[in-house]
Parts: sequence; structure tokens; C-alpha cells
Amino acid sequence: MAILEILHFPDPRLRETTEEITVFDDALSRFVDDMFETMYDAPGVGLAATQVGDTRRVAVMDCSEDKNERIVMCNPRILWTEDEQTVDEGCLSVPDHYDRVTRATRLGFAAQDRDGTAYEMTAEGLLAQCVQHELAHLDGGLYIDKLSRLKRERIRRKMAKTAKRGT
Amino acid sequence: MAREPSAGARPRVLAARAVSAVIDHGRSLDAALADWPADFVGADLALARMLAYGTLREHRRLGALLAPRLKKAPQPLLAALLHVGIFQLEATRVPPHAAVHATVAATKALGLGGARGMVNAVLRGHQRAPATLASEDSALIHSYPDWLAEHIAADWAAHAPAVLAAGNQRAPMQLRVNARRTTRDALLAEYSAAGIAATALPACRDGICLDEPIVADKLPGFVEGHVSIQDGAAQLAADLVAPCDGDRVLDACAAPGNKSAHLLERADIALTALDIDETRLATLDDTLTRLGLAADSRVGDAANPRTWSDGARYDRILLDAPCSGTGVIRRHPDIKWLRRASDIEAAKARQAALLAALWPTLVPGGRLVYATCSILAAEGDGVIEAFVAQMPEAAVVPIEAEWGRASAYGRRIAPGDQGFDGFYYAVLEKKTGSP
Repeated sequence: MAILEILHFPDPRLRETTEEITVFDDALSRFVDDMFETMYDAPGVGLAATQVGDTRRVAVMDCSEDKNERIVMCNPRILWTEDEQTVDEGCLSVPDHYDRVTRATRLGFAAQDRDGTAYEMTAEGLLAQCVQHELAHLDGGLYIDKLSRLKRERIRRKMAKTAKRGT
Repeated sequence: MAREPSAGARPRVLAARAVSAVIDHGRSLDAALADWPADFVGADLALARMLAYGTLREHRRLGALLAPRLKKAPQPLLAALLHVGIFQLEATRVPPHAAVHATVAATKALGLGGARGMVNAVLRGHQRAPATLASEDSALIHSYPDWLAEHIAADWAAHAPAVLAAGNQRAPMQLRVNARRTTRDALLAEYSAAGIAATALPACRDGICLDEPIVADKLPGFVEGHVSIQDGAAQLAADLVAPCDGDRVLDACAAPGNKSAHLLERADIALTALDIDETRLATLDDTLTRLGLAADSRVGDAANPRTWSDGARYDRILLDAPCSGTGVIRRHPDIKWLRRASDIEAAKARQAALLAALWPTLVPGGRLVYATCSILAAEGDGVIEAFVAQMPEAAVVPIEAEWGRASAYGRRIAPGDQGFDGFYYAVLEKKTGSP
């Protein structure tokens, strides 16, 4: 297993969309393991392939405190949503920044496991928030797209400054 | 998606960055705090501010407590975080286990993950067996650089330890009532009705002290221009300038404009509000607008009247000269670590130059009030002594007052005295018959 490099906003590769996975092989499984390791190390509760510069349509999540509720989403899609919540959100590709965004409180989604097994699941609260966050990544989106342009520009400048300082 | 920053890490992260900005990069605390994200608000913001201010107030003492636990000097940001960590254990009511946990979490968030174990060990060690300082060195105990503690010891003699300690206290929030819009009694009654505990400042005609600070835009009467935030010591300037209706008055280093506003609230005067800094002068204009006042505000260097003066002279001049700021250390603890010994001589030279340049713009019989928020004699009596020695037409007017204590040429206020900032005032009059 290996810890992968997480791309930081405004890296253009974060804007790429992903391709449907059709081959569920060992290479995919190893990639999923690396993604989990990278996510736990960050530390994060979700990580999409886009964030490590890969265009396979896969994301991993674990919203538990004890790192024992791993969820792999290959080719995920949201089936339905219900209610809205305004929540604090942060992204491993936008380090040290958190902001309020509005997300569906509950949702149902369909996806495939790393071996291709299809499943459907209902998510609520943090997990629902995470599903929406990771799905956006797989389509080249970032949570900060939901913020005002002013805020986004401020983040961009701050990130550029941090990148320059190399910290 | 990022995990919620582990409970409480963020205030420690931001406090450590602010401390490091001051200590390692020589930036002012105000500038460092301005970098904090706009979405950082509420209880976390209050905690982070408390940690940044408190750690800077006690920085030297905390460093001495840490030193024996460190095998080698940590890198600057890590050192700042360790100071923030031990400050929580030493001087706050943060539960120790929460302080340690959140500080360790902040280690990772600062990109110093490799030091998590060390931070944990140092803080747990202190929690188990708190180190104490055996030293009797008051510079170390009260956390001042040696050169500054020596200055204060020389200038304040037996009072020096109290002056050093007062600089580490939190300053109360004091207000000035706009006498043109309301009265102090009326405002106190309004605050009492609103459940805001406040009392009149005995030494300040227009002054009020709040029991607990309130942010400006939540302060009743602020937006309406009935009241301003100003330390009581600074409010004494208007009493000493004592402008009369019709006077031509100069406020020579006027920004951000509180003293200018106070003079305008007191009498119908023609006020020239001069400042060298255009940005800060804009703040003055905003303040005057809020209070319904008007002045002739000009950008210019008071030390060079030819560049801004129309030649007409002033009945009264207020020279609130740029200084070391050693009287307001309790509001700006970064001053202790940003100033250098050589700054005092430079400030003194600048103050003397300002005084000499402005003196000719005063009418015979006119009055000049010299003020600084410094507690060092060099910037107070030292400047006045040198000036009157070479200027026979300058007469020192003794200040009779209920505040502060008399010095050779003026009056000085120790920080914390009646709740005030540290200050110095001297009043000079130009003898009639002089040019």
C-alpha cells in the first residue's frame, strides 16, 4: 500500500471528469487500498480518485470514529434526496479551509463495490454529506464552487501564497 | 472530504500561527489576526484570540518553563505551538486533557505531524509535574525583554514591578460619550435598561467603563454616533487642550481620529486633522462622519509644515506623537517582542523633531499639548526637558489633576491606573511677546 499525493486546488486535474469503471481487477483493488490509506492519513472521511489525479470513477469513504466503516463507491449515482442541512465542510484538496454549505440531509445512492457487486444504500447526516461531496469530485466539482466568487478568490490567493511558501 | 478538524485543533492552529508571525517574522499581532479566515467566528474565535494574546503576554516565562523539557530547539512554528500549549495549562481554565488533546491535534494540522509524540510528552509532562520558575528576575517573571524591563525599572523605581505586571492584564473597555448627541447619564441609563453593566469614569467627563467588552457594532449608540470606544487616558487630552469656541486647533498626528472627534465634541472649533498616513486618515473621516462632526483633514508630515500648512497659526495644538507604545502593551502584547532598544532613541528623535517643527505654527499665548502612549521617561520628560532648554519662549504649565502622577515636566499614568492605558502628557504655552 502507498500514500498517494493529494492534488490541491487550483490544480486543473481536479476539474477532470471520470470514466465509468468496467474492469474490476486487482489493479483497481490495490488502488482502492491506497486511497483508503491516503484518506486515513490526511485525515479525511472521503476521497475521490480525481483528488489523486486518477480518472477512474471511484471514491472511498469512512465516516466512523474507529475507521471500521469502509465504503467503496464505484460508478455511484444518487437516486433520491430529502431535506436540506447547512453544514461545515472541508476538502483535502483545499487544506485548512472550512465553510458552510447546504447539502441534502438524506439520500439514497447506487454504486458497485470494488469487485463490481452492485448495491444500494441510504445515507444520512455526515455520510450523506460525504456522498454528495465525493460525487461532485468525480464530475470535476469542488465544494467551494458552492461559495461566492469572492470567497473562492480569497481561497485561491491564500492557496497560491501557501504553495509559494512551500508549507 | 476532510474530517472535521479534530475538536478544538483549529483555535490552537491559528493562535500558534499568530504567535509565530510576531515572534519569528516580526509582524504585528493585528496584521497576523487579519489573516484569520472570515468564516472563523464565535466561541472558537474568542478562544483563539485569548490564546494568541495570552501566549504573547507571557511568552518569555512560558519559554523558560518549556526549555528544560526540550532536547533541542524546536523549529519556530512548533515552538509557537508549544508555547500556546503550555499557556493553556498554566493560565487558562481549559481542562488540561482537552488542552493537550487539541494541541496535539493542532500539531498534525500545522503539518508538523512528526512532532505529535513530542508535543504530547512535553505537555503531559508539564501537566503531571508543573515546572516552576525559581528566578527572581522580574523581566523573566513578567515576560519582558531585558532592555525594556531595565528602562522601566530605571523610570518607575519601586513601582516598576507593578507596571510590568499591569502590562500583562487585559484592558477594560472604556467609552467616550458624544456630548453633542447625548449625555453620560442618559447613556448610562440606557445601558442599565439594556442590562449592560457600566460605570462612569471619575477622571473623564465623558468617560464610561464597561464591566465586559462588547463588539462595536453591538454596542448601543455606537452606530448612531452617541458613543465611541476610547481609553480613558486618551480622553484626558481634550481636557488639557481645553479648546474654546472659535479656536483654530491642530491635531498633528490625528489618525485614527478619536482625539480629534473628542475636541470637536467639546467646542465649536476649526480643526485641522493632520496625519501622514492616508489610509488611517480615511478611518478618521469615517469616525467623524459617524459622529456627525467635520474637520479639515489633511495628509501631511507634521514635521514638515511647509508641505501642508497655509501659514495661518493655531491657538491650540495637540501633538499625540508616534512612540514606542509601551503604555498600551496590555492591548498589544506584541510590542514587547517587536520593539528594539534602538527604537527608543529613534522615537525620541522623531518626537523632538515634531515638537520643534510645530512650535512655530502656534500663536503667542497659544497652548501645545504633548502626549504619548509611552511609559518611558525618554519619550516623555526627556523630550520636553530638551525642548524647553533650547526654547526660552516655551513655558511648562503644571497639570493639576486627579489622575496619574506628576513628573518633572508633565504627568504620567501607569498602565492600569484607574483602568487607564499608560500615558504621558505635558502642556506648553508660548509666552506672549514671543515671535
